[in-house]
Order: sequence, then structure tokens, then C-alpha cells
Amino acid sequence: MTGATSSATLTMASAINAGLRRAMEDDDRVVVMGEDVGKLGGVYRVTQGLQETFGDRRVMDTPLAESGILGTAIGLAFAGYRPVCEIQFDGFIYPAFDQIVSQVARMHSRTRGAVKMPLTIRVPWAGGIGAAEHHSDSPEALFTHTSGLRVVSVSDPADAYAVIREAIASDDPVLYFEPKRRYHVKGEVELDAAPGPVRAMDRARVVAPGTDVTVVAYGGLVQTALAAATAAQTEGISVEVIDLRSLSPIDFDTVVASVERTGRLVVVHEASQTGGLGAELCTAVTERCFYSLEHAPVRVTGYDIPFPPAKLEKFHLPDMDRILDGIDRAMDRPNSLQDRGW
Amino acid sequence: MKAALLDAVPGITPFVGLLGPDGHRDTTGAFADLVADIGPAELLGLYRDMVIIRRIDTEATALQRQGELGLWPPLLGQEAAQIGSARALAPDDFVFSSYRENGVAWVRGVAPTDLLVTWRGVAQSGWDPFIHRMATPQVIIGAQTLHATGYALGMQLSKSDSVAVTYFGDGATSEGDVSEALVFAASYAAPVVFICQNNQWAISEPVRVQSRSAIVDRAAGFGIPGIQVDGNDVLAVMAVTRAALERARRGDGPTFIEAVTYRMGPHTTADDPSRYRPPADLEEWAAKDPLARVAAHLRDAGVLDAAAEAEVTAAADAVAAELRAGCLAMPDLPPGALFDHVYSEPHPRIDEQRAAQEAYLRMFS
Amino acid sequence: MAQREFRLPDLGEGLTESEIVAWKVAPGDRIELNQVIAEVETAKAVVDLPSPFAGIVARLMVDAGVTVSVGDPIISVEVAGEAGAETADAAPPNLVGYGATTESVSARKPRRFADTPVVSPVLAPAAEVAPAAEVAPAAEVAPAAEVAPAAPARRRAAPPVRLLARQLGIPLETVEGTGDRGLITRSDLERVAGAAVDGSSRVAGDEESTLIPVTGVRKLTAKAMVDSAFTSPHVTVFLQVDVTPTIELLERLRSQPRFRGSRLTFLTAVARAVCIALTADPAVNSRWEEDGIRQFRHVNLGIAAATPRGLLVPVIPAADTLSLGELDGALSELVQTARAGTTPAAAMTGGTFTITNVGVFGVEGGTPILADGQAGILAVGVVARRPWEFEGEVALRSVVTLSLSFDHRVVDGAEGSRLLAAIAALLADPASAFAS
Repeated sequence: MTGATSSATLTMASAINAGLRRAMEDDDRVVVMGEDVGKLGGVYRVTQGLQETFGDRRVMDTPLAESGILGTAIGLAFAGYRPVCEIQFDGFIYPAFDQIVSQVARMHSRTRGAVKMPLTIRVPWAGGIGAAEHHSDSPEALFTHTSGLRVVSVSDPADAYAVIREAIASDDPVLYFEPKRRYHVKGEVELDAAPGPVRAMDRARVVAPGTDVTVVAYGGLVQTALAAATAAQTEGISVEVIDLRSLSPIDFDTVVASVERTGRLVVVHEASQTGGLGAELCTAVTERCFYSLEHAPVRVTGYDIPFPPAKLEKFHLPDMDRILDGIDRAMDRPNSLQDRGW
Repeated sequence: MKAALLDAVPGITPFVGLLGPDGHRDTTGAFADLVADIGPAELLGLYRDMVIIRRIDTEATALQRQGELGLWPPLLGQEAAQIGSARALAPDDFVFSSYRENGVAWVRGVAPTDLLVTWRGVAQSGWDPFIHRMATPQVIIGAQTLHATGYALGMQLSKSDSVAVTYFGDGATSEGDVSEALVFAASYAAPVVFICQNNQWAISEPVRVQSRSAIVDRAAGFGIPGIQVDGNDVLAVMAVTRAALERARRGDGPTFIEAVTYRMGPHTTADDPSRYRPPADLEEWAAKDPLARVAAHLRDAGVLDAAAEAEVTAAADAVAAELRAGCLAMPDLPPGALFDHVYSEPHPRIDEQRAAQEAYLRMFS
Repeated sequence: MAQREFRLPDLGEGLTESEIVAWKVAPGDRIELNQVIAEVETAKAVVDLPSPFAGIVARLMVDAGVTVSVGDPIISVEVAGEAGAETADAAPPNLVGYGATTESVSARKPRRFADTPVVSPVLAPAAEVAPAAEVAPAAEVAPAAEVAPAAPARRRAAPPVRLLARQLGIPLETVEGTGDRGLITRSDLERVAGAAVDGSSRVAGDEESTLIPVTGVRKLTAKAMVDSAFTSPHVTVFLQVDVTPTIELLERLRSQPRFRGSRLTFLTAVARAVCIALTADPAVNSRWEEDGIRQFRHVNLGIAAATPRGLLVPVIPAADTLSLGELDGALSELVQTARAGTTPAAAMTGGTFTITNVGVFGVEGGTPILADGQAGILAVGVVARRPWEFEGEVALRSVVTLSLSFDHRVVDGAEGSRLLAAIAALLADPASAFAS
């Protein structure tokens, strides 16, 4: 199909499905593999219909073995294929951690460029779904800290579609984090958008312009940040919301340009505070924007705890009010931590 | 006959041996047929291979003792297991090995000096895997078995008859990755050959810590046929490897080979086996030396005469000299090499940090 | 022939030394490449050392049984070829073993920088006026949603400097930064704050009048006055009081050794009286805030000071905790530094009550304007000898007028008057403080 662009209203899950289908149509070397991805179409139906179209060798139901999925994907890459692995839930990625960090991330540099690892590792990710233990983790910092990997997150169907295609087309290994709580959110998707000179997966995106404070979020919390921005507007605060999108490498240009204008930064993420992406962002922004800062950068994050049970989840995850509290802090307004002493 | 050998319901075939320590060659039986084409001249070639890789081993050990290499893992005692199997492979087959398979690498055409690159600490790999169709020897124990299995899945997808071959030791069979590889290989009937060199030791731990039954017994549990072979018998190793390769190329799936051998040297040059091994073990296994039995057989056959010996020795000396010269002349990579090939595509942090390093180093010029 | 030395390598993963267990060769022996020349024992193993050279053993440099450090030469060998190429200075074998390397000497060569100073240009002395105090060219304010062009829309200043600017009430947009890429420095702020105020700076106008530009401290003071006068409802009460006992007390104290060097002025006594009175009755030591009246525990005493740059009100924190002598010292220092223009920014804020000494100008009193959101300010007039009632007769006494303005939202007439009366009573009879 050439010429006219077509668009559709899709849920995020369907948008990823459409992106996978498109990638497999465009390149025979793309294979999809994971637990329950074939006949069942994935526990979130993200891969549904693909095995019917492309067969059970290009869409593989693998044994229940995460390290095995990644290790064999490496071998497939050696054989010239572009595997798209699914790790069924974020909390199950750890058995595959060694293959990802010791092998996938290092193969290109180990072999001095002879061997490429064009893998995409899809991970249903993060919380806000009231799930059982190990089904709501945010382990992205473990991977953003690992050189040799690229890490992306998506927040809406349009990005989900565009970025999964870019991730698969990339010759570098990409971890693609899909916020489960947004799988069913609908949005307009440009199905035939030609790839631009700059990839969406490399760039952060200003999703709402503002002048008083910059709020950076990613994944499922982008919508939450937008809701907080709308509420803040009624209190006379103009909030600029940025979807970080590329978690590694971080697009500092976009964030810095914003903070130079606003002088205030709030970073929001579900993952625990210590050593999280907020730490990296706040430090890097401070390094680059020190003389433009009106207030120290603020982090609104999960606590330094293992992910809590479903009934306590809402106390752990940043919600609209926690983000507003962080905005207040950044704006020198009364806030929950004003008596903290620093 | 040989097809029937391995097509039976997966089970255990007996211990395969063709050329015993006494130098006597068994030319009857199904496995003997698989190497019927290996006559005295060919066997001399295999002997020459083994002498050369033993010589590479001793020269590299000396270089380490002289401070020219950081480390060397000797394969002393395992020459037959590596030469016999490696010489059975087709050029398009692909090897995923551990760090000890320098004999296999040499057979795959890796230059002697390139064998040393990683041990000298110059780079993390010494050759292009696609040129020699052999992946960088793996340091994470057992990880390579999954890579080989995945490669085999790729061969199925491509409808190629190339086979993936993976080498690992007895210790590796305890790693989860090896079990997962066997599961995947069996589930997909993947064209992969698992070659376990049971050299009896994982550093200081004897094999009985890794397995309470013969290692080959495990294969049946995964639904994969297993063969146990005298790892010090170059002909038997070649025979069983050929059988396994043929099985894989036919589309009948994986095979597990346990080559029983002995690690005559230390785990690496940083190890002292006298702390955990009785000297009697070494004597017992010295009597089963893989080179000695072939030499005895070839002398009896009148093939290994003084001239042939001299030629073989000269060949080994030449390789050793090339190894030494290449090692001493090996150039270090420049500081900027830190940033090469971390990513395949341009990356802003790499660009920034490379520039930062350059700016820093300019301060000293 | 040339001599080559073999230095002991790291034989296994970070070892630092080995013992030569036994030599297998002797000086004069012809040896082959890789021939075992010694047995060495390390922490991990006994290993054979193969020779890296072929030649004739020249010297065994270490006895058997001796422990040698990695890197020490152990044997020298006469090697054919390379005449004189290798000497004892030759680099040791590449000690590539894993593990620690000890470097006692830095590998750094001396750094070489271009001789360009990085500091900001020298600032004009404070006496130089005006152009620096001019409003800086208006910053380009970038539209909110657009990415800013190369010049930032907002001024660049380090966070501590931003804070200082806020405290001084100086908008950064009005300051020309002299630092890197327009960075506003602390001294830039101080320069603006201290800009000369008198009319000689710039005069414009016609024959009928002259226009004196208002900048710097005067401008800030004007704004503060307006804010205060039109926010707090000011009421002033007056009291004349015979302070002769205080004057006499001060004279006596001045002659005492412990007060040698102290000025012990009347202003000090007023300050002390204010502190005592406010401590006893803290209603006026307060400020009006949106959510209520904030009453302070301590008296942070502001002292209005006339300086060449204008009116400044530096603060003595917790003046109520100071003794008379300490208070006197603080006052002297405060006024001195204010006149010199070196009052630190922190000393300019946080006051809870102010004293303004209008007596130095010779006037009796006035209706002082509250400073900085405070609820009370006391103007002290000139101390003059006047006829006054004393013990039933008319006598010449030292009399002073005290004028107390207060914020009528915080304090009513009764409370304000009571405070003034209390201060006056202390000054009329300082000995009464003994009894409280």
C-alpha cells in the first residue's frame, strides 16, 4: 500500500499487534517468540493472529524458560534472524538477565562489530493493575544501566505502533516496555507513516506545553502526569509534560530545552526512588541547567520497597495528587515535605 | 545399520571405542564403518593435528609463565576429543564452544596468534565468528548451549542442512542454561549436537559433585539420544560426531555426546591441581594418552617412521614459533577502542564520552 | 651478544611475589627457549619457569630460597643478536596477569593549558556609577511552546545567587551578568545593590527642574516604604521621658574596667530596654500573616542606619539574649559595617522589631514607618537637657521623646501604649530592671 496514509483507532495492545504484523510482513527475518505468544496470541493478546498468518516457526510458542528464550534468540541472531522475544511479565525477566546483560548487550563489542544483536525484547510492564506478586515490576533501571542495550517505553497507541517497528528495525538490541495499565486505552494510529529522519524511539516528546514547571514521566504515568497538569492549570500553574520515551539513551536535549525555559523539574516514575531513572535525569539536568534552576529537581517515585500487594499498590504508585505535591514542591508552594529541612 | 543406531527410541548406547590405549584399532561394527575412510594417511593427519594443538598448548603455557599472557586454559589430554569431533564438521556448520576449545578453533582455521588475543587481554575476541563459523569462546559457563540451539532453530527456518555444534564440560551440565538448551533442542527437534567433554574436573570439583549418574544418562530424560564415547580415542570421537551430524542434517534432531576424557593439566595457568588431585590419577590417565595410542598404532603400521616424526615435530615447532612471534608482536588497541562497537548505531552517550576521553588525553600531549 | 634480563611475572591472578624454590641452571649454561630454568613457589602453586630467551646464562640474580617481588629481575642471559639493544632499562615483560598492579609513580605528564585567565573581567569599583545600574537589555522571552534559540530566555545564575537576588528584591532581568555567557555573579548583585544613588549620576531635565534617577537601595527602600505604609494600619504613640538615671548609669559603667573600649551609647540602653520590655510583653514582637499573627520567641532587633547608599536596616538576631556589653558591641559593629556597605545579606532579614535613631538628626520624634512587615518600630529622638519636674521642683533633666508606631491589626492602642510605657519606665529608672 503506497501513497495514501491510513489511520485507525486502536488500543495500545492492538497497535503493538499491528506493528508486529507490519514488521513481519516487511522483513522475513523477523520472528516472534515467547511463552503463549503463538496459539493463544499472548496473555494480553498482543500477538494474536500472528501465528495464523506467519506459521508456527516464525511465531514460536517456546518452552517455559526465560533464559532459554533469550539464549536461543541470540543463536537466531547469529543465523541472520531478527527475533522479537516476549517476556510474559516484567517480574519474570530476571532469569533471562544473564543472557541479556552478559551476552546480548556485549556481543557486538565482544566480536568487535562482527556480530549484531538486532533483538527486540518486549516486556509487559509496571503496575496499576492490581496484580499478584511479580506482575507489576519496573526493572528498567537495571537495563538502562547496562551498556550495549537500548531501552524504550511507550505511553500511547500511536507511539506503540511507531516505536515497535523502529525497535525491530534497529540493529541494536532494544528492550521495549509496554505499560500494562494502558493496553486498553485507545488512540489514533498512523499505520503508513513513513519513517522520519529522526526516530521516535530516540527522542523524548513534549506532550503538553507549559511555562512554570517541567514534569517528565514515561510509560503509564504519562497520562497521570497529563491529568495532574490539567488540575494544576486550575490553580494557575502552567505545567509542561514530557514523555521521556527513550529511557536509554535519554534525550537530554528535549528535557534541557524545557527546563531552561521553566527552571523547574519534576521527574515521575513507578520504579523505586534509589538508583532509578529519576536519579540519572535529575543529575544530568542539574549538570546542564544549573544556572537556570529555580529549585532543586524533584522526584516523585515509588518507595524503596518490593512492589506491594494489590490493595496497597495505590499508596506506592505516584498518582495525580502525589505529582501535584511534587509540582508544589518544585514551585516553592506549601507541600508535604516543606518541613523536611532540605 | 548406522542409521538404526541412533534412530531407536532415545536411550543410551554403550561406551564407544575404536582405538584403544594399546594402539589396536577395531574395524568392525557400525561405528567403525563411520570412519572406514580414515586410513593410515588420514590417521597420520589426525595425529599431526593433535601434536600441533598440544604444542600450541605448551607454548601458550610457557608464554603465560613468561608474562606474555595473562592466563591460558590448557587442553592437555583432550586433544582427541577436540580434533576427532572438529574434523568431522562441515565448513558451514557452526561451533559454539567454551574457552577451552582452542584445538577446535585451530581446526576451524583460526590463526595461532588469533587464539591468544583474549588471553593477552588485547580484545574480547580474536576472530570474526562468521569467517571461521565459530563463535567467540564463551566464558559464562553453559551459555553457549542456548546460542547453538537458537542457531539450529535458524537453520530449520532457513531450511539449511548446516548443523550447530556446542562444546561444554561436565561442570557446565549443572547450569540451568544447559538444561534449557536441551529442552528447546528436543521440543523443536533442532539440528544441534551437544558435545560434553567430561574431563572429570570443574576446577577442583570432581564430576561426581555435578552428577550422580553418568552425564550421558541425562539426555534420555530430555528425550534426546545420548552416546558415551572414549574421549581419548580420536577415531571413536570422529565416528560418533559423524553419526550425530548426519542425524541432525536428516532432520531427526539433536544428539548428546559425552566424550570421557581427562584434564591432564590445571584448570588454567592460575590453578594448582596438586592441591586436590592424587598423582595416581595422572598416572592412570597418562596410560590412556590420546597421542600415544595413535603413535603406537601408526608405528606398527609403519607409517610413523623417523621422517614422519620429524615432519610432524617440525610442523608443531613452526606453529609454536609463529605463536610466540605473533604474541610478542601483538599491538595493543588505542584508548579510543573502549568506545568501538558498543552499539551498532550512533549513540549520544558514546559520542559524548569518546569526545570527553579525547579531551582528557589531549591534556597530556 | 646482548644481555637480557627476565623479570618475575605475575604467575597467577594478582600475585605480588614468589619464592625461588630451586634453580635448574647455572651461570655459563647454554639454555634453550622455554627450557625450565627454575621452580618457583607462589601462594597458589609450585610452577616451572620456562626461559623466554635462548642463550648463555650470565647471572642468577636471586638465590634459591629467596622470595622475589613481581617485576624484580631474577636472571640475566647473554642472547645472540641485538647488540646493545636491550639494557637493564628495557621494559619488563608485559605484566598482563590479572589482578592489582601497584603504581607508585603517576603516569601523568605535566598538564599544559593555554594561558588564558578564566575569571570574569574586573568589576568597576563601587564608586563608579550608573551604566551598570541601568536596566539590562530586556531578555527575550521565548514563547512557551517553542524551543528556545541559542540565547536563553532566562537569566543564568547559580542557585545561591538567585536566592540572594530574591532576598535583596533585585529582579535578575535587571542585572547585567559579567560571568561566563552572561552568568550573574554574587558580585554583580552586590554592585547593583550598592549602586550610587545621588543625582550626580545622571541628570536630565530642563531649566525648571532636574530629574534624579532612583536606583539601587533607594529604589528598593521606596518600594518597601510604600508596601509597608499601605498595608499595615500605622498608629503612633508618643512619650517624653526623663532618662537622666540611665545617662548617669551609662557614665558610671563606662568607667568600669569591663566596659573599657565599649561606647555604651544611649542607643544601647534603648535597645536593652526594648528587649526587656518585649520579652515581658511580646505582643508587639509579632507580624501579621495571612493565616494569623506570628509571634516570635526572640527579639531580632533591626537598627535603622543611614548610609551613603541610603537607608538600611541591618538586624541583630536574638538581641534579647545579649548582655548590655554584647549589645553595645553588636550595635557598633552593625552600624559600622552598614556604613561601609559590607553588611552580609543574611543580616538584612529576619528582624522582628526596629529602632530608628532620629535623634542624631536633632529631631524630637516622628511617625516612623514599620520596617519589613514588622509590627512595631521605635523612633528615639534627641536627648536634650530640658526643664522637667524632679522631686517636686523644676530642674534641668535629660529628656527624650520616644515615638512608637505599631501595626493596628496586630496590636491595639492599649497594648502599644503599654509597651511604650514599659520601655520608658526602664529608661527612667534602669534599676527597676533589677527587680523584674
